[in-house]
Amino acid sequence: MKRFFARNAPAYVFLLPWLIGFFLLALGPILASLYLSFTRYDMVSAPRWIGWGNYEYMFTRDRRFWKALEVTFTYVALAVPARLIMALGVAMLLDKGLRTIGLYRAIFYLPSLLGASIAIAILWRQLFAADGVVNQVLAMVGIQGASWITDPDTSLYTLVVLAMWQFGSPMLIFLAGLRGIPRDLYEAAEIDGTPGWRQFTRITLPLLAPVIFFNLVLQTIDSFKTFSSAFIISNGTGAPADSLLFYTVYLFNEAFKFFRMGYASALAWFLLVIIATFTAIAFFTSKYWVHYENERD
Amino acid sequence: MTKLTRRALLGTMGATAAAAALPAMPAFAADRTIRHYWWGNPERDKRTFAVIDTFQKKNVGIAVSGETIGWGDYWTKMATQTAGRNMADLVQMDYRFLFEYVNRGALKPLDEFVGKSLMIADFDKGPLDGGKVDGKLYALNIGSNSQVMVHNTRAFQEAGIDADLINWTWDDFAKACEKITAKSGGKMKGSDDLSLMIETFESWVRQNGREFYSPDGKVTATAGDVTSWWQMWADLRKAGVVRDKNKTVILDPPIAESGIAVGDTAMSHYWSNQLVGIQAVAKDKIGAAMVPHKAGGKPGQFIKPSMFLSLSRDAKDTAAAIAYMNAWVNDPEITGILGLERGIPCSPKIRAALAPKLTEVEKLSVDYFTAIQSKVGPLPVPAPKGAGEVRDAFMRIGTDVVLGKVEVAKAASTFIEDAQAIIERAQ
Repeated sequence: MKRFFARNAPAYVFLLPWLIGFFLLALGPILASLYLSFTRYDMVSAPRWIGWGNYEYMFTRDRRFWKALEVTFTYVALAVPARLIMALGVAMLLDKGLRTIGLYRAIFYLPSLLGASIAIAILWRQLFAADGVVNQVLAMVGIQGASWITDPDTSLYTLVVLAMWQFGSPMLIFLAGLRGIPRDLYEAAEIDGTPGWRQFTRITLPLLAPVIFFNLVLQTIDSFKTFSSAFIISNGTGAPADSLLFYTVYLFNEAFKFFRMGYASALAWFLLVIIATFTAIAFFTSKYWVHYENERD
Repeated sequence: MTKLTRRALLGTMGATAAAAALPAMPAFAADRTIRHYWWGNPERDKRTFAVIDTFQKKNVGIAVSGETIGWGDYWTKMATQTAGRNMADLVQMDYRFLFEYVNRGALKPLDEFVGKSLMIADFDKGPLDGGKVDGKLYALNIGSNSQVMVHNTRAFQEAGIDADLINWTWDDFAKACEKITAKSGGKMKGSDDLSLMIETFESWVRQNGREFYSPDGKVTATAGDVTSWWQMWADLRKAGVVRDKNKTVILDPPIAESGIAVGDTAMSHYWSNQLVGIQAVAKDKIGAAMVPHKAGGKPGQFIKPSMFLSLSRDAKDTAAAIAYMNAWVNDPEITGILGLERGIPCSPKIRAALAPKLTEVEKLSVDYFTAIQSKVGPLPVPAPKGAGEVRDAFMRIGTDVVLGKVEVAKAASTFIEDAQAIIERAQ
């Protein structure tokens, strides 16, 4: 016991702010929302216990719930790979050893800082409006652009592009990962005359696997929780025609527009299950494709 | 004081007006503060902050903090504040939402103040009763209005439209749209596409001899009503005489982006109290026409309380709040500032006092109001709980129709099914 403390005390001291925050601020609401998910609660009168009623309605009768899942899954399936490929690509370019790398790193990271902000979402709406910048540029080269944001067929893709543009934080992690790959491996490959793309598939990717895995999990969780950009661009409703009805936007509307806190809590808990499932799948399959350098098998 | 500034700045549109109003607020001396929350537009915000100013000058010791936001975000913020038990003391209320908020217990009845600190004995009975739910007064009428087809008088003149704009029919309307579009060479379309406007659609249903909701809160509009409505607009779109579909599907745009303000179209549907606000952003002189009638149909339009002032459950200093409320409808200086921007006041005394000082556009709204008196139907029953969500569903499903992605009749029956399910679930 004494040894445990001697060894771990510093860690717990560092964890303390988070632990205090978690127990004081987060745990209570989390448990409350679990309870509320089994009730009907309009925020004014007291919650009424209805057992599995909310979950039953969700799966059997709520068409918009399925629509929200469809939108969110499509988004995650497109945005996560797009962002990771973009991040890895840029990281590899920067890894070539530019002298002003610090500056470039900062510049490329900038969109990630701005991307979650309301201002960028509004800007995005302007860019992709029927008479926005994107269409004006397209018109210059003779292409008649679509009405990207107001057309349910294309609105989701504008958000995927937005997600792609926010590649900053996975890029930094990739960059750190790339730096960790021993140079002599490439030198050896160079001497053997291995072409560049084979160096990439045989050296870079396998050695980067832990980092890719880390980024994949983080970005997947992040994408499932996408809210502010979709909320702003769709005017808070998931419009046009529910094509931007992200799960979180639907949840927000159920809770704060239609006063169905109980149902919204149920939705929130199901989102937790979805994210947990995907994370679990990622961890479970990781042993087949992620190898750590210090592992000996 | 810093608190007041921060709150005032939260209102996106009211920010400038708030900054202008701040220096005059003697809030340092105030030990009683009440919050007033309303949906606005630049013109309304300017007037309201001037009212707050005047009230504070006359009532030293009471500070009023104004919070304003556009209609589109108003109800979201209101719901959040309701949930957080942090509602403003006085909230602007709409007929459509009154029933929902009363049923949730979010508002306090005003009956105990009437005749004591709230003097409304000589007010018009009809408009006043619009604020009653189950016999109790929950909302004080601060203006009445009716639907109006706002139109560009210059475009109408140039296209040579001579229809009687009070008694005209949907056929006349379609012809007017054609003429205006042809005259401008397609640059200005005849009208905004009203496919997604459930407010206008409700008039359509009434013209067919039905109400949208029955007194016991059931959906009585039929899929046939919806089909004929969406089909009519689909035909107008096909003819190219209404606004571009990609503009139509932008929901609840601010007044400054409406077709009539930017000059895309010669007609838009609004509420008559908004005439003042629209004229403020429109280049040409505007006129007021009734929603077109169905040939041989019933009256669709109605006169309703445009806005209410309600006392929220969270109000602490009710005496101060009621004093403010009373000044709103009785103080000659304050009602003079407000004018008709929120609608026609229901106090005969105030109306008489306003008459000589009316601006051109205010006179337009009074004349319009007088002209339609005998052409309107009775006030429909308050919408049941869930009506706000039905409105969303109408716009959501209608979007697919406007963009031509779904068959009209199919979308119409989907909407009626959804509306029924929404209302049933909300009870």
